[in-house]
Amino acid sequence: MRNKLALLALSVILIPLSLFSLSLNIRAFDHPGFTRVVFEGDRGFEFHVGKFKTELEIQLKEKAEPGNTITTFSRSSLVEKVVHRVANNRSVFKVHLKSSFKVNRNFVLERPFRVVFDLVKSEEKEADSEPVTAPPTPTAENKPPEQQEQETVQEEKEKQTDSEDKPEEPGVFKRRAAIETICIDPGHGGTDLGAVGSLKIAEKDITLKVGKKLKQLIMSRMGLHVVMTRENDNEVSLNSRVSIANNNKAQIFVSIHVNSSYRKSARGSETFFVSLKATDQDAFQLSEKENKAFEGLNDVGEDDELKMILWDMAQNEYIKESSKLAEFIQEELNVLLSTRNRGVKQAPFRVLMRAAMPAVLVEIAFLSNPHEQNKLQEDSFLDNVARAVYTGISRYINYHNSVFR
Amino acid sequence: MSKKIIYSLVGLAVIFFIGSLLIFLKSGKEAKTKEPGILTQDNVREEVQVQELIKFKIFFLTEESRWMRPVQYEIERPVVREELYRRFIELLLTGKENYIVPVPGGVKLRTLFYMEKKQMLVLDFTEELATNFPAGTDTELEFIYFIVDNICFNFKEVKMVKFLISGNEYKTLTGHIDMENPFYPDFKFFRQDDL
Repeated sequence: MRNKLALLALSVILIPLSLFSLSLNIRAFDHPGFTRVVFEGDRGFEFHVGKFKTELEIQLKEKAEPGNTITTFSRSSLVEKVVHRVANNRSVFKVHLKSSFKVNRNFVLERPFRVVFDLVKSEEKEADSEPVTAPPTPTAENKPPEQQEQETVQEEKEKQTDSEDKPEEPGVFKRRAAIETICIDPGHGGTDLGAVGSLKIAEKDITLKVGKKLKQLIMSRMGLHVVMTRENDNEVSLNSRVSIANNNKAQIFVSIHVNSSYRKSARGSETFFVSLKATDQDAFQLSEKENKAFEGLNDVGEDDELKMILWDMAQNEYIKESSKLAEFIQEELNVLLSTRNRGVKQAPFRVLMRAAMPAVLVEIAFLSNPHEQNKLQEDSFLDNVARAVYTGISRYINYHNSVFR
Repeated sequence: MSKKIIYSLVGLAVIFFIGSLLIFLKSGKEAKTKEPGILTQDNVREEVQVQELIKFKIFFLTEESRWMRPVQYEIERPVVREELYRRFIELLLTGKENYIVPVPGGVKLRTLFYMEKKQMLVLDFTEELATNFPAGTDTELEFIYFIVDNICFNFKEVKMVKFLISGNEYKTLTGHIDMENPFYPDFKFFRQDDL
């Protein structure tokens, strides 16, 4: 009786749910040694996978929204585009690859529901059509062959080890577009004052002043397009700030802030780039842990989800470039400002994490330090800050052009 | 059978019954006291038995140095591990004279729990952590790593720390550092010579 009631309750919940259209978001990005393609649904869905020489086909048992679209991935070294067509009220997603490939791993994660494929380039001649077992949903009984996963673990380790040193050689950087758009993010704003000094100077006002000065310099001297996350004293959420940068396809993201410390004596400028615990040094270690986690797919838990989130973070791809950008800006701040050099640092800044471009956060000086608070009131000091950040950015652009172009 | 014999038999039966009842009740009482007590907020202190002294090295901020400086502590080791963590957090929040505690005033630990499989300690602080926090990147980093690094340095079984405020996840404290994910220690505020 109790079972019947549970079934009835489940069907009452599931039937209306199935009437809602499925919304699907597709992502593809390169990692050291493999390319990850993620199909993220706003709810779970059933699917079947087919593998061809340069195509991966995911057939759904229902229609996903938006229908009949083409998503291109110009920055991916392996994935060219994903074509979505609807036939017989069922969606078929065809992932077009730039070369023949192998499915290194495929698995399903929940909350949110994601079907993940790790693809690697394959030099071997393969049969035109080779069915791939659909990865099981956590409730499904069928499991993908564990053997395939174990084989690829070693392969991936080798590839990752090989690829770790590659970025140091300019010749092997992949080609990237010339920098045309820069996003400047003056921190805080509106009711979010940021740090407030003893003289009641608010961080939000200083960051806006410096942001505007920097914008002026970049536009007048470089002729580049500048997107500001805010141009007035209005509140912008952290997610909106990074969305503005991503949606405008900015190629550099610079967030301007003023620091504060529990130590009144703390002084100087700092430039941060993000630390994800999945940075290049940790990537191999993390990958190993991740591989272990996927040895038993039913054991995929929150911890593994966390690792997936870290991997998914767009900034992961740009860590080295962000580090270079931070280094150039900090060097210029050291030269132009007579503030103490606190150097380039890493921290998990929320505003930087999902930026799909080299992204840094500049802490000009300390509002909590009485001497630096006085400086921050001087327009000439803020001019110098803007000039230093501008010179740092221009040095990075030269570096970018020499390495990626 | 004479009445005397009947009365004697009834009397003996009554005495035997009362005796048995007393023995039964006594043994039941003894058995009850041997049952392990369930730890609740009310009786946890009774259950905590002092076994040994445990030494800690807690690092605090100072005005003079960018490094946190170590202070030695020695406390009695309670039986319950969570109680030990709780006492340790109290030491962090209380601080030491002439040292800076990078925690806003009024902040208290509401509760904590250790997730053994993930080796993660979850700390739930009171609302004051959000409402009284002085904005700034370094203030956030100082608070986070003061807690995380000190815990992970002193308790090797803890690999990461997650923060909650009044039972809820917070995106950031004052708009800088992501607080939704747990933190691994980085020991950047600790000087190598002091470890």
